[in-house]
Amino acid sequence: MDQKQTSKEILLRMVKSFTENEVAPYDMEIDQTRSYVNDLLNKIKKYDFLSTMLPKEYGGAGFDGETTAAMINEIARGNASLAVTLEGHFKSIDQIVKYGNKSLQEEYLPQAKSRIIAFSMTEPSGGSNPLGITSHAEHVGNKWIINGDKIMITNGGLAEIYCVLVKTAPKELSFFVVDKDMEGFEFGKRENFLGLTGAPVGEIVMNNIEVDENHLLGKVGMGKEIGDSAHNDARVLMGAVLTGIMEHELNIVTDYATHRKALDTPIIQMQAIQRKIADIAVAKETTKLLYQKAAWLKDHGQDYEEEAAMAKAYGSRSAVKSGDNALQILGGYGYSLDYPVEHLIRDARAMEIAEGTVEKMRTTIALIEAKNRA
Amino acid sequence: MKIVVCIKQVPETTNVKINEQTKNIDRRGLGGVINSYDLNALQTALEIRKKVGGEVITLTMGPDDFAVSLQETLALGADKGVLLSDRAFAGADTLATGYVLGEAIEKMSDVDLVLVGQQSVDADTGQVGPIIAELLQVSQVTYAEKIEARSNELLINRKLDNVEQNITAKLPLLVTVTDKINQPQYTNIVEIAKSFDKPITTWHARDLNLEDSRVGQAGSPTIVRSISEPVEVTKINTRLSDDPVTAAKELVLALKQKNILTEEA
Amino acid sequence: MTVLKENWIFAENDLQKNNPVTYQLITKMKQISHDPVVVILIEEIDAKLENELSEYGPDKIITIKDNDLADGDDLEITNALANLIDQKGTPNTLIFPATVVGRSIAPRLQARLRTGLTADCLDLKFEDDLLVQTKPSYGDNIMCEIVIPNHRPQMVTARPNVFSSEKKINPNLKIESISDLQWKKDDQLVIESHVLPVKTTKDIKQAKRVVALGRGSKTEPAINVANDLKNKLHATIGVTRPLTDLDEFNIDDQIGQSGQTIAPDLLVNLGISGAVQYTSGISNAKIIVSANTDANAQIFKYSDYFFVGNATEFAKALEAIL
Repeated sequence: MDQKQTSKEILLRMVKSFTENEVAPYDMEIDQTRSYVNDLLNKIKKYDFLSTMLPKEYGGAGFDGETTAAMINEIARGNASLAVTLEGHFKSIDQIVKYGNKSLQEEYLPQAKSRIIAFSMTEPSGGSNPLGITSHAEHVGNKWIINGDKIMITNGGLAEIYCVLVKTAPKELSFFVVDKDMEGFEFGKRENFLGLTGAPVGEIVMNNIEVDENHLLGKVGMGKEIGDSAHNDARVLMGAVLTGIMEHELNIVTDYATHRKALDTPIIQMQAIQRKIADIAVAKETTKLLYQKAAWLKDHGQDYEEEAAMAKAYGSRSAVKSGDNALQILGGYGYSLDYPVEHLIRDARAMEIAEGTVEKMRTTIALIEAKNRA
Repeated sequence: MKIVVCIKQVPETTNVKINEQTKNIDRRGLGGVINSYDLNALQTALEIRKKVGGEVITLTMGPDDFAVSLQETLALGADKGVLLSDRAFAGADTLATGYVLGEAIEKMSDVDLVLVGQQSVDADTGQVGPIIAELLQVSQVTYAEKIEARSNELLINRKLDNVEQNITAKLPLLVTVTDKINQPQYTNIVEIAKSFDKPITTWHARDLNLEDSRVGQAGSPTIVRSISEPVEVTKINTRLSDDPVTAAKELVLALKQKNILTEEA
Repeated sequence: MTVLKENWIFAENDLQKNNPVTYQLITKMKQISHDPVVVILIEEIDAKLENELSEYGPDKIITIKDNDLADGDDLEITNALANLIDQKGTPNTLIFPATVVGRSIAPRLQARLRTGLTADCLDLKFEDDLLVQTKPSYGDNIMCEIVIPNHRPQMVTARPNVFSSEKKINPNLKIESISDLQWKKDDQLVIESHVLPVKTTKDIKQAKRVVALGRGSKTEPAINVANDLKNKLHATIGVTRPLTDLDEFNIDDQIGQSGQTIAPDLLVNLGISGAVQYTSGISNAKIIVSANTDANAQIFKYSDYFFVGNATEFAKALEAIL
């Protein structure tokens, strides 16, 4: 028996059944109440979803990137917010695994089984120019003293551990790991966002938080590299979330179009409808192949920045467009807040911005294409 | 308590169609899952083990890829799995299946309790459990809705059409369970990796004490002649008399004949 | 092996009452077979369940009068039936109801007799002596035609309420009473049985019986009568969309596309016309009864029984005789 393949199959069977029974039926309620109803967070912890890609030596299940992405894809078919909450946690684990020193890993990775870790770069001063941030850490003896205000953190408020980007010198960016239980740590305001409303996006404030030297992620000055790495890992999984959203859209429109009749003919027989459904299906499959390739490259130690950018940029644009097509097919029902289509558009729309805008993704892709030919 | 749970791998959906060319069920793109009632049986076994101790062995008959389902039962908490796999087993109906499963349980020796789901969701027969009980010559309780384990007996609750039974059952015993008995747990994700430390044994026909004539197609008295998709049955719309009192009487009589109404109302 | 050219039917009774499925099986077997239909009845010594059974025209009833066996478990009844077959011979067919009881004893006896058994049949017919059995699989999504060519008896369990029963006097009916059938006791089980009260539930999705009200019954007297009927039937009240305007009903009580999908054994529709929005929520109801003044009401197409006239008067008459 191929252990890797068998493990993957068992995992996906479980996730499928969990999503069908525990997540999908609550999709609308999660969106409307802006919270994880049905005790979902505790269930997620109970069945060790948080440990999916955590290495085995820290008590995790040690699944590879491809399998983890497939799992995120499956959950997103039921509810995209929950998939994004897991994506945020997994990309943070990835950076501690890649850059953390041994003692930081031994302290925090075992906790990742039950405590969500978040990744935080943005500040009120802006997101795309990291050197514009004002948060900073000062080396005092064998400690670092951290001050600053970070906003728009995925899982902000929900997560208990934060990787934060700060300045360690005027032109030097570094990452530190802080814990919500540390003195000087405070939660700020939760954003009132349009979509992905189940996953909180919030603020943390750091007032003279004192951490040991081992809380530095990588070395001083590695802030940009670690930030880019986190973006890449997040984008692969976002491709999976977006695929799940489009699968959800397809489920809704195909069901509706086969049952809804106009003049006694199901509307699926009409070319105008067929064209829209076909477009959604092609976009879904394309995004799936893109994120799968990116994950495969990552698992095999190869460069995946471009494919990750493609999966996210193409996937987010397509999921929004597909949602609009789905809304049009459903007509009045599509436009109703009592039906799920409109919130799928809102959910997908978030990913045209988060983890690098669609515009920035195109820059990344274009520059890599040019570099490859130089 | 030494408990054997029989499981079956079934297609992930029962919403299947017949392929027009092959005239067979179209399983393209269909994954397998453990029959849902068998998950209730496994959960029952795990709860009994938790209360009185012992060992839970899962048993299935099928091609080698059914081992995935056995592996899943180990991740869910079973102690070991046994796969009965042999070309000779192919084409078995419920009698030939029950025979091989029964002989495998016989070979395990000293089994106190055999747990089986009330039926499989694909074949829908519910026959294999009682067949195994007969072959093992143990008592049976079918369609259990509640089980409370004591060290050497079980208190079982089950429901017939209009009757409820509370049964005190001594071991050894075979019990089939409904889906009302518990809410099966999901597989814990970390346990999937750990489950590979537990053993799965494969037994072939030669490992069991079998009579050739009772195995596989040869041992199957039933023959499926053809399969088809159901024709939509249109209801027979029976018009009752126009006088309301007469109509009510006609209706009550008809409903009693269909056992929808009993004498009690 | 000598095979009796007979069809045997196992008579199910629950706490000294015939289960009507037995009547249905007698009628069906009489319709499709020229061979004698023999009912095997296990009952207490002073019970007389054969009287009612005989109204449906079997050729023979074998009553096994035995107080212990009447309370017997699956193994004990299997032991007794196997001995009866030893004594009398192997019948060509042996039919059980596909109830909990039938579906438990039949496979055990099948394994004892080493013959074939087909579960939950929806149709039966003969080709000479061969019983052709139609059984559903995959949750009724596929139908299989099954035969048992080389083994006897040909055993089946047949689903209740698929065949209808018909009273018919059989002048040649013989009743044979057996009081000395030997069977091996099973000491492993102690069984305590009691009748299950019909449960009333507030949750319409779980309800076994539903009384549903539509626009035609949106008046206080109509609702009162429906409530009385609901109480007599231990049913749950459901409504169509127009009635959710009233204070006493909300979306949890509403049946249909924008409300709840229900699956009761019995659904009584009062003053409901049968728009698609409503009927899409009732396709899993087993028996549907509808009353409406409009003889062309759509709902009648979905109904097993329908009454053309005032729904409230019909409900009142029904309530009175329950």
